[in-house]
Amino acid sequence: MIFSPTPLSAAEDALRHEVRAWLAKTLPTDFRPGLGLGGRHDPEFSRALAAQGWVGMSIPEEYGGASATTVERFVVVEELLAAGAPITAHWIAERQTAPALLRFGTEEQRRWFLPRIAAGECYFSLGMSEPDAGSDLASVRTTAVRDGDGWRVSGTKVWTTNAHLNHFFVVLCRTSTADDRHAGLSQLIVDLSSPGVTVSPIPLIDGELHVNEVVLDGVYVPDERVLGEIGEGWTQVTAELAHERSGPDRYCSVIGLLRAYLDEHGVPDDGSAAAFGRIAARLWSIRQLSLAVARSLDEGEAPATEAALVKDVGTIFEQQTVETIREIAALEVDPEGSMFGRLLAECIMNAPSWTLRGGTTEVLRGIAAKALTRGAAR
Amino acid sequence: MSETTELRDAVTDVLRGPCTPAALEEAERDGWAPAVWSALHDGGFATVAVPESAGGSGGSVAQACAVLEACGAAAAPVPVAETGLLAGRLLAAAGLSVPDGPVTTVAAPGLSFDGEVLSGAVSGVPWAVSASLAVVVDGSAVVVSPGSGVVTPGRNLAGEPRDHVDLTGVRPTAAAPVSPDAVEELRRRGALSRAALIAGAARAVLDLTVRYTGEREQFGRPVSKFPAVAAHLVQIAEQTELATMAARSAAAGAGEEGEPAALDVAAAFSVAADAAGLIATAAHQATGAMGMTREFGLGVLTRRLWSWRDEWGGGAAWATELGHLVAAGGADAFWPTVSRGLVTAQT
Repeated sequence: MIFSPTPLSAAEDALRHEVRAWLAKTLPTDFRPGLGLGGRHDPEFSRALAAQGWVGMSIPEEYGGASATTVERFVVVEELLAAGAPITAHWIAERQTAPALLRFGTEEQRRWFLPRIAAGECYFSLGMSEPDAGSDLASVRTTAVRDGDGWRVSGTKVWTTNAHLNHFFVVLCRTSTADDRHAGLSQLIVDLSSPGVTVSPIPLIDGELHVNEVVLDGVYVPDERVLGEIGEGWTQVTAELAHERSGPDRYCSVIGLLRAYLDEHGVPDDGSAAAFGRIAARLWSIRQLSLAVARSLDEGEAPATEAALVKDVGTIFEQQTVETIREIAALEVDPEGSMFGRLLAECIMNAPSWTLRGGTTEVLRGIAAKALTRGAAR
Repeated sequence: MSETTELRDAVTDVLRGPCTPAALEEAERDGWAPAVWSALHDGGFATVAVPESAGGSGGSVAQACAVLEACGAAAAPVPVAETGLLAGRLLAAAGLSVPDGPVTTVAAPGLSFDGEVLSGAVSGVPWAVSASLAVVVDGSAVVVSPGSGVVTPGRNLAGEPRDHVDLTGVRPTAAAPVSPDAVEELRRRGALSRAALIAGAARAVLDLTVRYTGEREQFGRPVSKFPAVAAHLVQIAEQTELATMAARSAAAGAGEEGEPAALDVAAAFSVAADAAGLIATAAHQATGAMGMTREFGLGVLTRRLWSWRDEWGGGAAWATELGHLVAAGGADAFWPTVSRGLVTAQT
């Protein structure tokens, strides 16, 4: 394990305070914080943030970014998530797509997409899950067949967040019928406004309509929009997932709730202080684990196991926090009540998704256990 | 950080010889482990974080905690935390030299001192028979010789001496006034020492449990291959990393010469105390009946986890303190307070 206490440099700490001050000035005083990644889709905010240089920070300067380190991006993203800022529009493009383009994309793709992403103007969704391919991603059935200088893609993707608002999604699909089910996969960048794309909402238990089913019916994708190599989709996707599991989005979903709780209830007695203190202690410790992973990425390591551990610890922490806060607040949840009541209601109804998205708890523990027992056999 | 890593490895090496299962059994029977103490004392490891001017080995709180992690992993049955990080630093701050040999201490005892002799009694004193005792009484740090007063032996769950000592009529061998902060600082270092010991023992439990479940076969394969058992291993690993990160961060926050911060210690001890219970439960479940036997070697670690988590106030008291601390500034101060991590001076 690579975890060790990771100090911020004075410059990194100054960046944190700069972001914090900008958010205090930019977000309205009656702002209702989003639950981390559950923040609103707000292109205006994304562009304003980009104007500060805080979107696509790790993109090299030659492609419109800031050539920032993983830790610098960590510092900015943690402040945004802790404030519940409306970051959803640009989130996937900057976290997932930009690094994939840098790693696997063509020069032409980088020159076209990256400056637009860094400007907070080009938004992506994920195109991985399907009705029969959730945790078992390698069983995707969406298929691309050769057509002239491009591909015709058909199939169904699900859980596609904000596909009705975003511009593109990277589709994991089958480009050959190889016996090895990992070998025939490829990634294609699909324009969500292409003919043959049908986006329909999948209403969630809280009535929200940000998650979609996307049906692709013979959608044409030119060769220039193939991401990486044909047949290398599996390798590319697993590299993406491993690096993106342990970020601040795994423990920041509840910060808004904690603030609202303090604002409306405080800790009037030792019992509530003890419960709140245990939450604070865990948060204090988990964020340092997450920061340690970010630092080790900057030092050239690939801490996939550590990332899986942090995600598991972080999301379980978030769920336990909601339960503890509900208990010490000791009231009936009112989804139309005060800020605290509304956030608590939203947390309770969204908390189950925290241990599902980005790899279920069971999948993550499988990854971690494999690494632990492999280490013992060495 | 590499200095602390080297120190941890060095202490691990030093303890490998003397800290055997037989030595641990003898220590539980006799209340003392002379070979273990000699190994640590002779290497100067018992007084890390005590200034050289006071007779210590010098070094930071983080380095002392690195020693304690190794001691926790080996279940070393001697008062290393008490001698250096706790009593040693207390005496050095009072301008007193540290007695050569084991030293012990306790938090703010119910004693009084008239300038000549002590009166009153203290309980839960680690290794009172073998160690000099240094405590703060009425604004002074005082030292008494090993075994002073009337000692009624006691022990914690791990069989480590935790004695009751009646000091009425005992004349200290040294006394000097100490700053009003000394008691609170000692209490923080006490809690931090337990967090570091827990982190070390947790790592040893993880290694032992992973090894055993990889070797033990049932239904024709190693039990670690069963997802339900593997989930216990992951739980132990996660709690070990959390406790370790917490203890090391609080220790690192003290810097080269300073004391650990109240918030950091409270957070670290709360995390470590909860981790101790979760780890012990998961490890015993994963190792089955074998883990419950005296010979297996898990018990010397889990009995320590169950003891240390309640010492120096215990997890709940520190969590309560932390809760009041982070709530004190109101909602707007909460995140800035919790996220105020380590920052290096240079850019």
